[in-house]
Amino acid sequence: MLSTTRVSNVSLTLSRSRLGVPAVVFFVMSAAAPLTVIAGAVTTAYAVTGITAIPIAFLAVAAVLGLFSVGYVAMARHITNAGAFYTYVAHGLGKPAGVAASLVAVLAYNALQVALYGGLGVAAAGLAGGPWWAWALGAWAFVALLGVLRVDLNGRVLAVLLVAEIVVVLVYDAAALAHPAGGRISLATLSPAGLAQPGIGAALVLAITGFIGFEAAAVFSEETRNPRRTVPVATYLAVALIAVLYAGSSWALSVATGADRVVEVARRDGTETIFNLAAAHLGPTVVHVGHVLFLTSLLAALLSFHNAVARYLFALGREQVLPAALGRTGRRTGAPTVASLAQSALALAVIAAYAAGGLDPLVQLFFWVGMTGGFGALALITVTSVAVVGFFARRRHRRETAWHTVVAPGLAAGLLAVILALAVANFATLLGVPPDDPLRWMLPAAYLVAAAAGVAWALVLRVRRPDIYRAIGLGANAVVGRVEPAELHP
Amino acid sequence: MLLADELFLIAHDDTTGRPRLHLRAAELGLAGALLGELLLYGRIAVHGGRLTVVDRRPPDDALAHTVLDQVIAEPQYRAVRIWLAFLAGQAVDAVGQRLERAGRVTRTQRRWGRVVRYVPVDMSTAAWPGHRLRLFLTRGEPMTVTDTLLAGLVSATGLTSQVLWDAPASSHEYLASLIAALPPPLRELVAHLQAAVGDAVLSHRT
Repeated sequence: MLSTTRVSNVSLTLSRSRLGVPAVVFFVMSAAAPLTVIAGAVTTAYAVTGITAIPIAFLAVAAVLGLFSVGYVAMARHITNAGAFYTYVAHGLGKPAGVAASLVAVLAYNALQVALYGGLGVAAAGLAGGPWWAWALGAWAFVALLGVLRVDLNGRVLAVLLVAEIVVVLVYDAAALAHPAGGRISLATLSPAGLAQPGIGAALVLAITGFIGFEAAAVFSEETRNPRRTVPVATYLAVALIAVLYAGSSWALSVATGADRVVEVARRDGTETIFNLAAAHLGPTVVHVGHVLFLTSLLAALLSFHNAVARYLFALGREQVLPAALGRTGRRTGAPTVASLAQSALALAVIAAYAAGGLDPLVQLFFWVGMTGGFGALALITVTSVAVVGFFARRRHRRETAWHTVVAPGLAAGLLAVILALAVANFATLLGVPPDDPLRWMLPAAYLVAAAAGVAWALVLRVRRPDIYRAIGLGANAVVGRVEPAELHP
Repeated sequence: MLLADELFLIAHDDTTGRPRLHLRAAELGLAGALLGELLLYGRIAVHGGRLTVVDRRPPDDALAHTVLDQVIAEPQYRAVRIWLAFLAGQAVDAVGQRLERAGRVTRTQRRWGRVVRYVPVDMSTAAWPGHRLRLFLTRGEPMTVTDTLLAGLVSATGLTSQVLWDAPASSHEYLASLIAALPPPLRELVAHLQAAVGDAVLSHRT
């Protein structure tokens, strides 16, 4: 029987299961997958781009994303479906821009996910032999199955793996710093002067890519103990932790090899770079543990991005901006089944194409496609920052200060626009191709095509399905129209 | 049988009592059904996402009476979504126990583990609500408001495939048109339930 008492049962019951800061930070960080970024992306970035200013790029990007987060978390308090960038764009810059952003997001997050199969395939094949695509297919089957069954990887398991990853990274860093090349610890790669290096846009895109996932704290706006505090604190904390870890580790790597030799070593050793350096000082056990955690890290990241894409497609299916079938869930599992299968089908096609075409899984899949995904996310974050300013300009909010609504998001938008421009200018460096290679235009232009298609589709919806058009950006709430967040939790 | 009882029976296997629906959707769906009973009793009204108490007289059913008392006791909360979230916490057990008191299910608990099942006493009674909806929907026959609301709750929680497993597309279209023609407060309840179930999918931690 239900009971009635004097105390508010509603607020008591609903606050009992709510999330605190640590739970949200853990969720965000496990998506960030430290070893995937450090052992995989950072070493490949040194090798492909030839740029040494990667550590300072992480710090610079962290500062910009911190600034961006001020407006981002402020706006999250006023909208539902707050975990998806396109929601912000739809509310702040209009529905056509929102649909454009949603298609850019689907493309970018898919790219980020599929790219990881290349990284995992190469890493696993390097350890255990066999063709990379066989390992990639194994991982694909695992992710596809978990995506549909929604067998929750126990949160504690993920947390333990994450902590273990961070410990291993810190141990490797300590070993690197204890044995600097030439006997002297150099701060060269942390020097702000590095930001003036030609091709710096490439390093900045890599850095942004490392942070993707920091935005996910806002997904839980409605489930946190105190949304006004928990989501902002978790977001800033995640950005700061990721910055220290990635800047510190990529710097330690350059200290161990010497700043002048880091590119050369990374080109020679690939994703084995940090493990080879560790092997020289730490013995085989620590290296084996690192290898295993590198693989689990890649798997966790694969699953996390898979779920992010499925969430996006599900929300768009519920809005009927994309086919409504994408909004269907498994009856027993509650998984966004159709959306999950759609992502898996795309990933399978890409793995198959790369395997059949004999393309390089590390450089051409993991790095090119991954960085193109990161570039798309950079474009999304930039537009979202503008959207925050637009949103607050149209609505007066007594509880938000000008710092939250105009100054910080405006500054962030300006800085992000500079990074975006540098990224476009240095795209050839990012890919490690000659400046006249058509790919350097084709890959970034894919987002323009997606955005244009989004605007066109939104305009079609406005004429043909005004009911759908009105609900763009509302996610699962499209069926009821705009809901104030306060109506969802006491 | 009352609305939530019938939704409960559709959402669980007629012989074993095993859930046919994932837990969160079942919880929210039964919470919606309990609010639906108060709407059908004429005790509350729903408009613009908020509910109001329009008649404080206790309904005949004890559980409906308790739910109404709770709504009356906390006038500071009026959003439908808050009540769905709140009632979701206890709805499965509350409705299961009501069915048990009516002698339609037996509560079983494994000696080890905490899995509680409400096993139907009579399979054909348990299967009847689902069968009835299926018959009406596939034949395109007119339905009562109560049955239409039940069908709306089935649809909003994602149970449609259970009821209309191999039915032709026309019965899905008929279902959609029936829901669209529900009286506005009931239609709104169904829509809010659908949104709540969708939000639960989006904020699921994986």
